[in-house]
Amino acid sequence: MTEQHLPPGLIGARVRRKEDPRLLTGRAQFVDDVALPGMLEAAILRSPHAHARIVSVDVSAALELPGVFAVITGAEVAQACALPQPVIWRLIPDQRMTDLYALAHDKVRYVGQGVAAVAAADRYVAEDALGLIEVEYEQLPAACTLDEALADGAPLLYENWPDNVSCRQTVPKGDVATAFAAADVIVSETITYGRQMGTPLETRGAVVSWDPFTDRLEAWLSTQSPNLARDLLGEVLGLPVERIRVRTPDVGGGFGNKFDFYGEEVVAALLSKRSGRPVKIIEDRLESFVANAHSREQRIEVEVAAKSDGTITGMRGTVYGVLGGQLSTVGIGPCWAATVLMPGPYDIPNVEVTVVGVVTNRSPYGSYRGWGQPKANIAHERIVEKLARELGMAANDVRRKNLIAPDKFPYPSPVFYYDSGRYEECLEAAERAVVDRGWAKRQAEAAKEGRSLGIGYSFHIEISAIGPSRILNQAGLQHSGFDEESVRIDSTGGVIVRSGLSAMGQGIQTALAQVAAQTLGVPLDSVTVLTGDTETNPYTGYGTGGSRGAALGGGALLRASTRLREKVLRVAAELLEASPDDLVISDGRISVAGTGVGGRSVSMRDVGDATYRRLDGKLPLGETPTLEERDVLDPDNTAFSYGTTAVLAEVDRETGRVQVLDYLIAHDCGTVINPMIVDGQLHGGAAQAIGGALFEEIVYGPDGQPLTTTFMDYLIPTASELPAFETVHLTTTADHIPGGFKGMGEAGTIGGASAITAAIDDALRDLGVGVVQLPITPPRLLSMIEAAEAGGTATDVEEQS
Amino acid sequence: MTSLDVTMTVNGRTVTGRVEARRTLADFLRKDCAATGVHLGCEHGVCGACTVVLDGCTARSCCTLAVQADGAEVMTVEGLADGTDLHPLQEAFWARHGLQCGFCTPGILLTMRELLADNPDPSEEEIRESLSGNICRCTGYQFIVEAVKDAAAVLRASSADRG
Ligand code: FES
Ligand code: FES
Repeated sequence: MTEQHLPPGLIGARVRRKEDPRLLTGRAQFVDDVALPGMLEAAILRSPHAHARIVSVDVSAALELPGVFAVITGAEVAQACALPQPVIWRLIPDQRMTDLYALAHDKVRYVGQGVAAVAAADRYVAEDALGLIEVEYEQLPAACTLDEALADGAPLLYENWPDNVSCRQTVPKGDVATAFAAADVIVSETITYGRQMGTPLETRGAVVSWDPFTDRLEAWLSTQSPNLARDLLGEVLGLPVERIRVRTPDVGGGFGNKFDFYGEEVVAALLSKRSGRPVKIIEDRLESFVANAHSREQRIEVEVAAKSDGTITGMRGTVYGVLGGQLSTVGIGPCWAATVLMPGPYDIPNVEVTVVGVVTNRSPYGSYRGWGQPKANIAHERIVEKLARELGMAANDVRRKNLIAPDKFPYPSPVFYYDSGRYEECLEAAERAVVDRGWAKRQAEAAKEGRSLGIGYSFHIEISAIGPSRILNQAGLQHSGFDEESVRIDSTGGVIVRSGLSAMGQGIQTALAQVAAQTLGVPLDSVTVLTGDTETNPYTGYGTGGSRGAALGGGALLRASTRLREKVLRVAAELLEASPDDLVISDGRISVAGTGVGGRSVSMRDVGDATYRRLDGKLPLGETPTLEERDVLDPDNTAFSYGTTAVLAEVDRETGRVQVLDYLIAHDCGTVINPMIVDGQLHGGAAQAIGGALFEEIVYGPDGQPLTTTFMDYLIPTASELPAFETVHLTTTADHIPGGFKGMGEAGTIGGASAITAAIDDALRDLGVGVVQLPITPPRLLSMIEAAEAGGTATDVEEQS
Repeated sequence: MTSLDVTMTVNGRTVTGRVEARRTLADFLRKDCAATGVHLGCEHGVCGACTVVLDGCTARSCCTLAVQADGAEVMTVEGLADGTDLHPLQEAFWARHGLQCGFCTPGILLTMRELLADNPDPSEEEIRESLSGNICRCTGYQFIVEAVKDAAAVLRASSADRG
């Protein structure tokens, strides 16, 4: 494997973030801080029913309320739009599409679906007006759970469909039937993953100004995907995109939830056109629990065939995605990803996996950091643990037997080519760190005190650097996967990088500045990175998701900056009367190599001046004025990061409560741009994984009413529930990405739940408990403990292990 | 809807306004006083993003009405730096990567400022305990905890200097 090694410098340095001073002093501008002259505030009337026909909507009283400027109903939205809400991931050709508009007009299919909207002088008045809208509903029987939706005679969400199944697809590799027929051992498991959401602390929001005279539309969106949002606004509203400008102010966390394109953006636009005023819609937290994309909820059946030495020869699996009442922007995408990535890091020759997408009377299923991968992970890691118990082997020995070997890359999985990795080394790095941290000793000592500690591992892979465009298109994505970056040096030698990626807390501005500064040889302080405006910034395909920003943005910018550096050297060579080949750049000064301090040199400012202002006699003949380069990176392949997670956890057998005591991630994301940012991303992802494994669940009552509608019911971990995190890094570069970067934004969320469940099983190994439902809340775990203590299960598994 | 006159000091400046009784202090600060560093993460008193200092104690401005703050002294994150010198907590959060999206940060900074005033040398557990009324969805808290420890040391050193 040839590896690209960048010289040590700003790439790889733990520098402070450029984003922070504004954020620390209250000077950031989030979408709710955008205030335009004449701006109205809107609110949305939402369905109180899980499933009902809309008989009539009467908005007359609302329209008469002083301070109300415009009201719009679902029927009016459908009439005003050129197309229904888009679904960009169309992976399964014969999938039944839901084709609904931004507000409901014939039926409502989940509690919280928008029915009408009001724009008023402020949000207080808008909410008053919602209370004056009268909607007559005819309630319908609902299919609120997966089983209800799949039952014979289930109420149909879409009456023109034969059942509630939107799609089904099987992806094969090799000959799975033969593998199972020849197996020494077969183990299977059914896993239930609860409904969860990304829950950025800033809820979603939009400010839209649509000039009815010129049809120019300006939008401020709290979005991860400004270019996608602009294109989709154009499609849905029937506007040419050159008239649409999307700006993304500071984004208070995205986590995939803000990747998707929601109805509120369209509603704000239509209300603005109607009222002739800019319109702001800010989702409040209560709305967010029903109107923001939900995720994760799947039932996963997984089964492996293996030899008695632990070699896995075949895998079968079925993923049931609980999609909710309409398809979100990403459609079956995350459930499909969970399915096709189910073999994970293991070299399994025969695989057959099936995805089934089922509509239910719940909120739509959309993007959340991890995007199917936490479920793929729980499937392969739970089944590896079970296989190990069945064979009496250590789980990590089963992992080692099956991890893809370094010489097998690029490795063909059922769908993707994994580019590179040293998986076994990574597992061993984690094992060594666990030894160093003395977990086994802590476990043994706790046992003497009658406390139950467990150690659990998981291995994860993460798809990153999502591209290449044509292959994504062939797979069914209605969008591209490249990234464009531009870099310009101005007349005084300052550097401006422009990017189409969104800054949402992941530190992309700092990371890109590091890449440009190191490549150009200038101080970090002289680089400004501008994001968040489709009118002035380059185009990024897809959006800021799929762990692609640093890898593709960094790669494109590295290439652009490399070319710009060459031009800088040519100009400097003229100024210094030297050959470009003899020059070096350091800290913004260009000098003749080997002449040392005091030798001839010019500054980046001199070069800027010679290129923009006083050109005569300085800018080489034949060089065009200005110093600017752009680059487009449409990668040949995605890049796979990977890591091992190890967890030390304590289970309280009396209460079923789990406390994570220590947490370790050994990780490889290729060339690291800023280790501090990478660690922060790993920590934050791990925190979300812990929340998802132990606490967080969107719960519905039997009538389809959501029961978790505040932060009192939907439990996001606080500092008291979380451990300190330790990270260990390996570097295996992605050779098809300039710079060798791989993405890692989702890593922490992927393997966490698997390692935690393994640690719980280990803490309760005398009882033979095997966790297969997430989140494993105290009542759930307690009932498993009680059942095991009361009878059969414990001894059964004792015999196996 | 009845409107009432309110007067309060916000980051050292006296502001007066006429507000509806139902207007929250958060909305008053954000929209009428341009203190947009006050963030709203839940508006039901759980996340702590809207934390301000009200007459010397932290308070959740989403659950406080503007009229309740009549006559009070209010400090928001905008009042934390001394001119253009960052407060040691701000410096430490910057150095230690104690923030990602920054939406929770104003509330957390003010909460930690209160902790360090009461307890200049808190243990990790005490910091975590005191932080647990503020939700951060991005960081996993560890770098926040480390930043608070660093800031505590700086503040202790500077108060020792002052004698
Ligand atoms: S916004 Fe006030 S506590 Fe969350
Ligand atoms: S930094 Fe984003 S919520 Fe704390």
